Amino acid sequence: MKPSPSPAARRRRAGYLFCLPGMTFLALFLAYPLCYNVWTSVHDVDLGQLLGGTERFNGLDNYRAVLDDPAFWHAVRISLIFTLGSLLLQFTLGFALALLFARPFPLNGLLRSLLLVAWLLPPVVSGTLFRWMLDAESGAYNALLSAVGLGGLGHDWLTDPSTSLAGVIFANIWVGVPFNMLLLLVGLHTIDPELHEAAAIDGAGAWQRFRHITLPLMRPVSVTVLLLGLLYTFKVFDIVFVMTGGGPVDATRVLSLYVYEVFFTSFRFGQGAAAGLLLLVVPLLAGVFYVRRLRREEDTPAGGAV
Amino acid sequence: MRPPRRPWLLTAVATAVTAAFLLPVYWMAKTSLTRPDRILSPTPQWAPTPVTGRNYATALGYAGLTRALLNSLVISSGVVALTLLLGVPLAYALARVRMRGSGTMVLALLVAQLPPAIVLAAPLFILERRAGLAGTYLGLIAADTTLTLPFTVIVLRPVLRGVPSELEEAAQIDGCGLPGVLLRVVLPLMVPGVVATAGLSFLIAWGEFLFGLTLAGGPDVQPVTVLLNSFVGQHGTSWGALMATATLISIPVVCVFALFQRFIVGGLMTGGVRG
Repeated sequence: MKPSPSPAARRRRAGYLFCLPGMTFLALFLAYPLCYNVWTSVHDVDLGQLLGGTERFNGLDNYRAVLDDPAFWHAVRISLIFTLGSLLLQFTLGFALALLFARPFPLNGLLRSLLLVAWLLPPVVSGTLFRWMLDAESGAYNALLSAVGLGGLGHDWLTDPSTSLAGVIFANIWVGVPFNMLLLLVGLHTIDPELHEAAAIDGAGAWQRFRHITLPLMRPVSVTVLLLGLLYTFKVFDIVFVMTGGGPVDATRVLSLYVYEVFFTSFRFGQGAAAGLLLLVVPLLAGVFYVRRLRREEDTPAGGAV
Repeated sequence: MRPPRRPWLLTAVATAVTAAFLLPVYWMAKTSLTRPDRILSPTPQWAPTPVTGRNYATALGYAGLTRALLNSLVISSGVVALTLLLGVPLAYALARVRMRGSGTMVLALLVAQLPPAIVLAAPLFILERRAGLAGTYLGLIAADTTLTLPFTVIVLRPVLRGVPSELEEAAQIDGCGLPGVLLRVVLPLMVPGVVATAGLSFLIAWGEFLFGLTLAGGPDVQPVTVLLNSFVGQHGTSWGALMATATLISIPVVCVFALFQRFIVGGLMTGGVRG
C-alpha cells in the first residue's frame, strides 16, 4: 500500500495549484508577448509581411535603425527633461505637503483625501482638463494671471513649442504630487516624536530640527519614493498623448510616444519592437535597485510600509 | 509631533492649499455646468450662473458616449473579477504555503510591473489579432489585468501573512482542505485588503487608455477614455461638452474612492504601485 502523502506535502501541492492559474495567465499575456517582442525586434516585419507570414530575420538591423534615428535621440532628450523635471518638482511639493499634513489639525484626513482625487482621475481626463486650463484665450490659468496683474505672462502654453513641454510637465506634476505626499507622510509618521522634543528642549529651532532630524531619517523613504516616481514618470504615455500628441513639432515627444508612432502609426513593427526593448533599460535598472531595497526592507521588521 | 499651538491656522493653510490644488477639478465641473456661449470668454466667470445641463445633453448626444461608458463598466468589472479570481489564491499560496519557487514568483510579480504599457501593447496588438481576441471585451480585460494582477498579489500577500496561523491549523485539523481554509477562514478576515485591491483594480481599468486605444479596434468595445480623446480631436473647442464628458468619467472614480477611501489609502501605502 502506498503511504498517503503527509499533510505538509498535500498543502504544498494545493499551494502550487493555487499559483497555477495566475502564473499561467501572466505567462500568456505578459511574459510571452514580451518574448514575442524580442523575436519581432530581430525580424523585418511590416503589415504585409505580418499578414503573409513572410517575416525575414535581419539580426540587429532594427536596433541599428533605431539608434541611427535622430528622432529617437530627440525623444531620449525630451524624456530625460520630462522625467527629471516632473520627479524633482513633484517630490519637493509632495514633501512640503507631507510636512504640513504630518501635523495634527482639524479636517486633516478629509483634506488629504481630497488631494488624492487628483491622482486617481484617469490620466486622459487630467490631460483633457489641463488642455482647457492652459488654453490661450479662455483658459483659467491665463485668466488667473491677468486677475493678479500678470496678464503679460499669459501665453498659448501648449501650442508654443518652447513652452509645451513645461505645460505637460506641469500637468504631470499635478498628478504625481498627492502620491508623493502620501508615501512621504507614511515615512514622516515613523519618525519618533521624542527626537524632536528632545532637540527642542536642547534649543534646536524648527529649521535645525528639520535639517538634522527629519531629513536624514527620511532618506531611505525618499530614495524609494524617487525610484517609484522614476518608474512611473518614465512610463507616462496617456497624459502627453492627450495634451499634445507629442507636438508641436515633436517638442513633447517622449520615448513612449516615439515607440507608439513607429509601431502603430508607421507600422514598422520590427523597429517598434526594438525601440520598445531599448525603452526597458531604464525601468529594469531602476527595478533592480527597487527590488533589492524592498528585499532588504522585508528583512527588517519596520520596513513593510513602502 | 507636539500638538500645534494654533491648529485652526494649520487647517486654514491646508484648506487654501487644497483649494488651489483642486482648482482644475472645480473648473471641470464649473465649465460643464456653464452655458456654452459663456464659456469662451477672455474673463471667465468663477461660478456657473445660470447653471445649465445643456452641455451634458450635448455630450450624451455625441455618437457612442453611452455605449463607451457601458463598455468601460463591462471591462472594469471584468478586470476586477478576473484579478480577484486569479490573485487571491496566488497571494494566499505565496503568503502561507512553504514551497520551492515562491521567492522567484514574488520577484517575477515585482518585475512584471516594470515594463511601460507601450512595450506590452505592441506585441499584444499582433498576438491578440492572431488569437481572435482583438476587438473583444475579453482581449481588453486580459490586457488590463496584466496591470492589476501583479500589484494585487503584492498588496494582498502581507495582509495574508497577518492572518494568525492557529486559525488555519484548527480548520485543517477539522478536515478542511486548502480551498476550504481559504474560503471559510481566511477570506472573511481579509475583506479590507480584498476591497482595497478590488477598488484600485476598478480605478486602473476605468482609467486605462493605451490598451483601449490599440486593442479595441472600434466603437463596439472601445472604453470611454479613448472616446474622450477622440472627442478632443472632433469637438476641440466645445469645452462645455468635453468637460461634461470628463465629469461623467470622473464621477464613478470619485464614488469608488469615497466609498472605499479608508481601504484604498491603506492599500496604496502597502502597494505603492499603479500601472
